[in-house]
Amino acid sequence: MRPYTFAQPRSVREALRGAGPDTAFLAGGTTLVDLMKLEVVTPERVVDINRLPLDGITLDHKGLHIGALERMSDVAADRRVRENYPMVAQALELSASAQLRNMASIGGNLLQRTRCGYFRDVSTPCNKREPGSGCSALEGINRGHAVLGTSDDCIASHPSDLAVPLVALSTVVHLASARGTRSVPLDTFYTLPGATPEVENVLRPNELITGITVPRSPWAAHSLYVKVRDRQSYEFALTSAAVALGMRGRTITSARVAAGGVGTRPWRLTAVERALTGRPATAATFEAAVVRAADGAQPREHNAFKPALLRRTLVRALTELQESR
Amino acid sequence: MPRSPVGREIDRVDGRLKVTGAAEYSGDYRAPERAADLAHAHLVTSTIARGTITRIDTAAALASPGVLRVYAAPEPIERLALYGVTGQAAGFTEPYIPLQTAAVRFYGQAIAMVVAETPEQARDAAALVTATYAAQPPRTSIADEPHVPAGPTISGSPSSLDILAPGVESIDAALAASDVVVEAEFHQNVQHHVGMEPHAVLAVWEEPDRVTIYAGAQIPAAYALGMAQRLGLLPQNVRLITKYVGGGFGARVVLWSDTPLAAAAARELGRPVRLVLTREQMFTLTGHRSHLTQTVRLGASRRGVLNAVSHRSIAERPSTMSFTMTPAHSTSDALYRTPNLHVDAQLAVLDIPGSRAMRGPNEAPGSFALETAMDELAIATGVDPVELRLRNHATTHPVSGLPWSSKHLEECYRVGAERFGWSARSSRPRSRVDGQWLYGTGMATAIYPAARRTGFAVRVQLRNDDTAVVSTGTSDLGTGATTMVAISGADALGIPLARVTPEIGDTYLPPGAPAVGSSGTHATVPLVVDAARNVIAELKRLAVTRDGSPWQGAAAEDLRYERGILHGGGRSMTFGRLLTAIGSRGVDMESSPGGDPIPGVIHHSFGAHFCEVRVNRFTGETRVTRFTTVADVGRVINAKAARSQLVGGVIFGIGHALLEENHLELRTGRLANSTLADYLVPVNADVPDIDVVMLDEPDPRLTGPLGDGSEDVGTRSLGARGLGEIGTVGSAAAIGNAVFNATGVRLRDVPITPDKLIEHL
Repeated sequence: MRPYTFAQPRSVREALRGAGPDTAFLAGGTTLVDLMKLEVVTPERVVDINRLPLDGITLDHKGLHIGALERMSDVAADRRVRENYPMVAQALELSASAQLRNMASIGGNLLQRTRCGYFRDVSTPCNKREPGSGCSALEGINRGHAVLGTSDDCIASHPSDLAVPLVALSTVVHLASARGTRSVPLDTFYTLPGATPEVENVLRPNELITGITVPRSPWAAHSLYVKVRDRQSYEFALTSAAVALGMRGRTITSARVAAGGVGTRPWRLTAVERALTGRPATAATFEAAVVRAADGAQPREHNAFKPALLRRTLVRALTELQESR
Repeated sequence: MPRSPVGREIDRVDGRLKVTGAAEYSGDYRAPERAADLAHAHLVTSTIARGTITRIDTAAALASPGVLRVYAAPEPIERLALYGVTGQAAGFTEPYIPLQTAAVRFYGQAIAMVVAETPEQARDAAALVTATYAAQPPRTSIADEPHVPAGPTISGSPSSLDILAPGVESIDAALAASDVVVEAEFHQNVQHHVGMEPHAVLAVWEEPDRVTIYAGAQIPAAYALGMAQRLGLLPQNVRLITKYVGGGFGARVVLWSDTPLAAAAARELGRPVRLVLTREQMFTLTGHRSHLTQTVRLGASRRGVLNAVSHRSIAERPSTMSFTMTPAHSTSDALYRTPNLHVDAQLAVLDIPGSRAMRGPNEAPGSFALETAMDELAIATGVDPVELRLRNHATTHPVSGLPWSSKHLEECYRVGAERFGWSARSSRPRSRVDGQWLYGTGMATAIYPAARRTGFAVRVQLRNDDTAVVSTGTSDLGTGATTMVAISGADALGIPLARVTPEIGDTYLPPGAPAVGSSGTHATVPLVVDAARNVIAELKRLAVTRDGSPWQGAAAEDLRYERGILHGGGRSMTFGRLLTAIGSRGVDMESSPGGDPIPGVIHHSFGAHFCEVRVNRFTGETRVTRFTTVADVGRVINAKAARSQLVGGVIFGIGHALLEENHLELRTGRLANSTLADYLVPVNADVPDIDVVMLDEPDPRLTGPLGDGSEDVGTRSLGARGLGEIGTVGSAAAIGNAVFNATGVRLRDVPITPDKLIEHL
């Protein structure tokens, strides 16, 4: 770990004062401190934002508002979240471990860095960590890596479970900077690696996530998150699926579908949503709808299974959701 | 009247210390009298697998706050005075002197060490050390590199042999003449021990030529001897304290580079030095289980009676420390009756980190291959898997022809099948579906060598407060060895457990049994019994000779010792009161030499595993839902610790079957999964309740006579074989066989993961 200065401001304005590219905001610390110890990130200035008034969970006619500093465990346990957005609570509970969920914040969860082993090992080349040094994962061990949204410079998968249902539900991220506030759809908040994998989102260096809003919808209450992994707990997804269905009788009137573990960012599957809408909720519909879910996938040596596993994960999630009615 | 604690559920004597955090492991120990002086070391490791260091730049590290020294390879011997190790200790010591060569022989080798005032300063400065290399392409492929015969197995038996029935020309001919042939090839990646406690060492020099080392070690005596040679000291001038150890599994058998480096730096600095490896460093600096390929061919009659068994393997021989992997040893060469047997083990020289024995070193991978092939034979012949094994049950060892000292394997099958409900099983795959989940069951046999190791000693002291101290320099890896020593002492002396103080983990104690090969208990218990007998004889001698004793002048043979009390001539006295009466604080005696394994028999422990899994029919995750293990391990000393060992062994098997692997990058020689986020071990959610039964049949032919062979003390604790590894042997195969029964998919490459299964679901 390299030396850094440390501040504990009490207001957003104070926190943003002097923030720049070498500033890191510390919330739960479950990613930042880890990466600082590994010297993957070496901020000159660490600003502890835990005293900022960015907590609170509210539900109103617009939707669910969650402060950036709310802890994962508190959000997962919230009755309003569990009843109205079950797949959000499920994604949180299937994340990390109980100890980590007690510490990690919602804002930090959305900004957590990839679990790519090359990103985390400073002795290996990595374009995300050190632009231009090369991507070790392309020819390395890439079983956990992304197949969608990849580039020749980076195939790191996005690690967040929570972001998957949030993307499916058109969540909006609220940002604050010294220049004011703005709100960005989560789906466009994340950027593709392209030739600049060190850039992961549209957050500016002097900008802070203050909270999120998950819009109200008729389908969010009928939703499910399925996570597929080797180990039953405390592991990142091989694949995951967030599915929400609006139903009239046996007919799907609207569908929201997103996938995790497969993309360089949480992956909304609008083509699958379209293929489900207006159809009866049957196995045949599900099978047909997911056929093209992984179109455009670029598998590598060890992750060639991911397109097939993604399709199977989606069918499982849709089937399980339908059976739960 | 105290009841013997042997065989009961006994809490660990150090359990409270451990769960409250009061037990001081090597990295916790503070050396109170020198605490202010303590310095901290951190290692820098290589980022190539083969080549030569051309330059190490230490300037930035040296200028970093708190840094006292930076040592970099090749370090002059004047600064880090480390020497070669020869003779007996060489087999347990890394075969190169750390930091005294510019040669790099594996990715992750120690190439520099920073010593600083705090651990954080040492770590941060270590990150500033940079190295340049002249690199060569590493040898990384066991398939492509030249193969050499493995040589003798760990127990000295041949790793390549043919036993052929009269008139049979070759194993191939025997297979060709068999009605049914099963041939299967198995692969597994590198696995790691992953003890919970990181490797940590504290070196404290008392004098220029005398040092005390605090470190976790499975063979304390060999570890200390190796250290003495590394440091150029007389053997008696190295004292190793290894009181609490957070898991061994084979990784603490070897004197790796960390301990000599810490001790050498402490000597040069004139300060105590502590060195704690990072979790990532443990993956390359403290050994692993070799990755390997195995081929098993079974030839049998239509009824499933074996005619031929062939088991071949190719594993690693790392260019530094190497464990001789012979997976047919004690599996295919021991388990079933067959007229024709062929085993062969080959190794390929590779530039990868040193390998070492890991729990069930040969037997865990070997049994996965053999017991999976047996399941395939059961399918091919239509014979029930339990029945198939009974039909091939061996009553004599197939290679030596010797009978076993004690074998109740058939009972294991019977009891296990009944508890598990095996008879309700359908042998037809995919016959049980519940919603998304395919259910299946499988079983496998477990076997592990149990020959008694000798050459160690135990001291028993009787004290004048009616307590006893039982001392031996063995180590407790978390198995419960300390409690075992106390239990067997209480049993042999006939006094309550609470009055026995066990003392272990110090090479200044009588030389203790190594904590390896499931042998600690059966090496130690007879010595406790013998030392107790000797100290009681000495107590009697004192009673009849010393002033103040009511029996002075009587004949020792007229005295009788029973449950802590001497009786004779109508008088009785506890040993404590007698010692007080004669003005002695205590009397102690050591065990006698001897107790060699009884010749003419062969020793193994046995077991049977029964397992139920469910596999998701969409996404292919395998979850273990039920597990029953029945073990024939001789006498059980502590039912609680024994169950814990067997449960832990099965959990190792779950890791083997479903989770654990480190991928070797063929191009770089880097082990890619060297963190606990990337190398998956089972978590609680992966482990169902594991039903463990121990038959508790004492082995009557385990230990030969010790001392004069007379038996005037309790010997209820004799006949205990080891059980640290048998739970691991065969458990992965039982899981794989259950996966086949659930899905109809036979996977011969472990771990069995969703990506491999979904192709066939």
